[in-house]
Amino acid sequence: MTGPFATARVEAPEPGVATLELRKLDKKFAGTHALKAVSLSFMPGEVHAIVGENGAGKSTLIKLLTGVYPKTSGSILWQGREVEFSGPQDALVLGINAVHQEVVLCPHLTVAANIFLGDETTRFGLLRKREMTRRAQAILDELGFHLPADAMLSDLTIGQQQLVATARAASRGTRFLVFDEPTGYLTRAETDQLFALIRRLHGQGVTIIYISHRMEEIFQIADRVSVLRDGQLIGTHVVAETNERDLIREMVNRPLDQVHHKEVIPLGDTLLEVRNMSGPGFEDVSLTVRRGEIVGLYGLIGAGRSEFVQCLFGRTRKTAGDVKLKGKAVEFRREADAIDSGIVLLPESRRDQGLCLNLPVGFNLNLPVFHKISTGGLIRSGEEKTRSDKQMRDLRIVAASRNVDALTLSGGNQQKIVIGKWLNHGADLFIFDEPTVGVDVGTKAEIYKLMAILLRNGAGIILISSYLPEVYDLGDTLHVFRKGRLAATFGHRKVDHETILAEAIGT
Amino acid sequence: MAVAAKPRGRLRFAFLLNLTLLGLLLLMWLVLSVTTDSFMTTNNIVNLLRQASLWAVIAIGQTFVIITGGIDLSVGAVVGLSSTVVALLLKADFPIWAAVGLTLMLGPVIGAFHAFGILKLGLPPFIMTLATLTAFRGIGLLMTNGATISGFPPEFTGFSRLSFLGIPSLFWVVILVAIPSYILLHHSRWGRYIYAVGSNSEAARLSGVHIARTIYLAYILSATLACLAGILTASRIAIGVATTGEGWELQSIASSVIGGTSLFGAVGSITGPLLGSMLLTTINNGANLLNVNPFWQRIITGFLIIAIVFFDQLRRRRKG
Repeated sequence: MTGPFATARVEAPEPGVATLELRKLDKKFAGTHALKAVSLSFMPGEVHAIVGENGAGKSTLIKLLTGVYPKTSGSILWQGREVEFSGPQDALVLGINAVHQEVVLCPHLTVAANIFLGDETTRFGLLRKREMTRRAQAILDELGFHLPADAMLSDLTIGQQQLVATARAASRGTRFLVFDEPTGYLTRAETDQLFALIRRLHGQGVTIIYISHRMEEIFQIADRVSVLRDGQLIGTHVVAETNERDLIREMVNRPLDQVHHKEVIPLGDTLLEVRNMSGPGFEDVSLTVRRGEIVGLYGLIGAGRSEFVQCLFGRTRKTAGDVKLKGKAVEFRREADAIDSGIVLLPESRRDQGLCLNLPVGFNLNLPVFHKISTGGLIRSGEEKTRSDKQMRDLRIVAASRNVDALTLSGGNQQKIVIGKWLNHGADLFIFDEPTVGVDVGTKAEIYKLMAILLRNGAGIILISSYLPEVYDLGDTLHVFRKGRLAATFGHRKVDHETILAEAIGT
Repeated sequence: MAVAAKPRGRLRFAFLLNLTLLGLLLLMWLVLSVTTDSFMTTNNIVNLLRQASLWAVIAIGQTFVIITGGIDLSVGAVVGLSSTVVALLLKADFPIWAAVGLTLMLGPVIGAFHAFGILKLGLPPFIMTLATLTAFRGIGLLMTNGATISGFPPEFTGFSRLSFLGIPSLFWVVILVAIPSYILLHHSRWGRYIYAVGSNSEAARLSGVHIARTIYLAYILSATLACLAGILTASRIAIGVATTGEGWELQSIASSVIGGTSLFGAVGSITGPLLGSMLLTTINNGANLLNVNPFWQRIITGFLIIAIVFFDQLRRRRKG
């Protein structure tokens, strides 16, 4: 083919030779055997999904393949020849690229500048900005991504930024492309665009590794799927010959009845009553939350769901309407007011908003309660320890001790810390903003179970998710946001997915 | 990956760094007492402790600010300003307690002004305190017209020459500052908030931490301790000059960083600046005694900072 992908053409691979082959690949960290003698072949032009719980070794495997970590033993063969990676650069020159779960680009540069970062077009040492913008736009159009090449990256949503990262990887002569949880922040339309791209690269003979916790995506896009558990390869299957239940069983080694299991919990008194509330980014929202109820908020990114809960939580000031909590009118000037009244928010981005990553696990778990466990300002250290240990035990947080920094934990365990700190504090209304992004099936089920416990104890939950099956299966009531307003409200599983999606899009 | 690479990593690093610094300090003392006749004299040791004390006091204040992820470049200028103010008050026949008390009250005012500029005006801490550095020097010079003020009551100048239990009074001041600071930073909830703000102020805010109060606290502590150091300096050198404490902002930052405080925030302790300031003073003192050109001290300090921050980076990289 011609056009922007002229450089991306793949030489016809020798038939039968794997693009990348792993032989007894092993990785040990101090004290942890992260990957145990994994042997696996990735064939030219296949979409190979890798599934496993958090901590199963997926991230480690990816980091070994992309040269981020050095291997402990075993070998990596690139088109039949053994290779040694001393850094990511060695993998890049072979055409091994990765699109990571968290966007790693420069927010202050334009989309075009990000796409060509490190590979700029110059004349006499000067940047040819217009030329780069033109080429970047051609690439984006070609990929079917509706994004302006001259926009600042920081003006895009996280989902759109992810597409830019994908375009960047796809435009650099990739032969082996790793997607690590790419759809976590994507809307349905963006996911479709991404899948179209994957199919196309697949057609060009590019090998694609696809890591996702969303089973239906794997069945939609992948040819083969490998299951990792506790650092071991459990099995590799042709996707057409397996099913979701079997894969989940292999991943967790314990049968999960239903992934989105909804317990029937009787509803109690009205906890929260919002009447005609307006604020920055949303207008005229009315809803109620009862004790024992999950109220789901669904909508496309930018539809006003997050803006609404941020305002409810006191981050921004409302411009109109009333909020009643437990029958009393409330007015929050800041987050601390909302927390004191019994509303807590578990934010969307763990890394940016949820955790103090370079501080210990125990510190994070106690952050909201330091005022409760101190006398005259001095922390009662015994209580500090017992409280954090209790949460670590109750939530089964996997960490060497309460003294290790939060950043050393896996995504699922980090999310458990965010939940644990609010269980530690206690509240009436829990707002979960995208609680299961980047979290594996097992942890997901645990999070849902925790929600059920909260509800049984008389709390109410507002659940925001871009993942429709989640709000659909869990929400007792489902509100759909569109363009800053409530577009529709449905009872539990009253209508089908298509109706809800249609309301969100507004067709 | 799920499991941490090393249990207690942060504690162990801090402990090892402190131990290394202590070892380095003892080694330097040993070498200096063998190679020079004048190092291990009462006079010199007392002198060393006095100078180290002044730097330690401002370095402790600086540490609070750096842990929040900020920086206070004004401390040297505040030392100069407060030594001028206390001198003028004493010359105006204020009793010593009143002169000292009033000068100390400058601290909260200056610190609050810094926090206000950072929080409300949105200035980066570096710029805010760089601006006041110049301004405070100017105010001090303006008030005295650049002149030196002398002729203090003997009780005032006598204080810095006192010793109690064989330890110079200035060093007792450090102990009196360090113990409450240690309790505040490591055992109080406000100390926890200082770390939380330095690590991720967004997460801290969402957890109900009052960010503004925490920032105010850190800058007020820094400015007030700088005022204290200014008063003690005036007592020690028996004069008030607006240019006192020139370059001490860098000494305080260096002491803190050498002691293991991370300029990226959320990492640091009280023992760090204590050891750091002692180390820098010893280098200074040793260079003097060995008849090394005193300018070497600055060069050595510079390279020491590069080495320590390099090791800090190395540790981060391995962790990430």
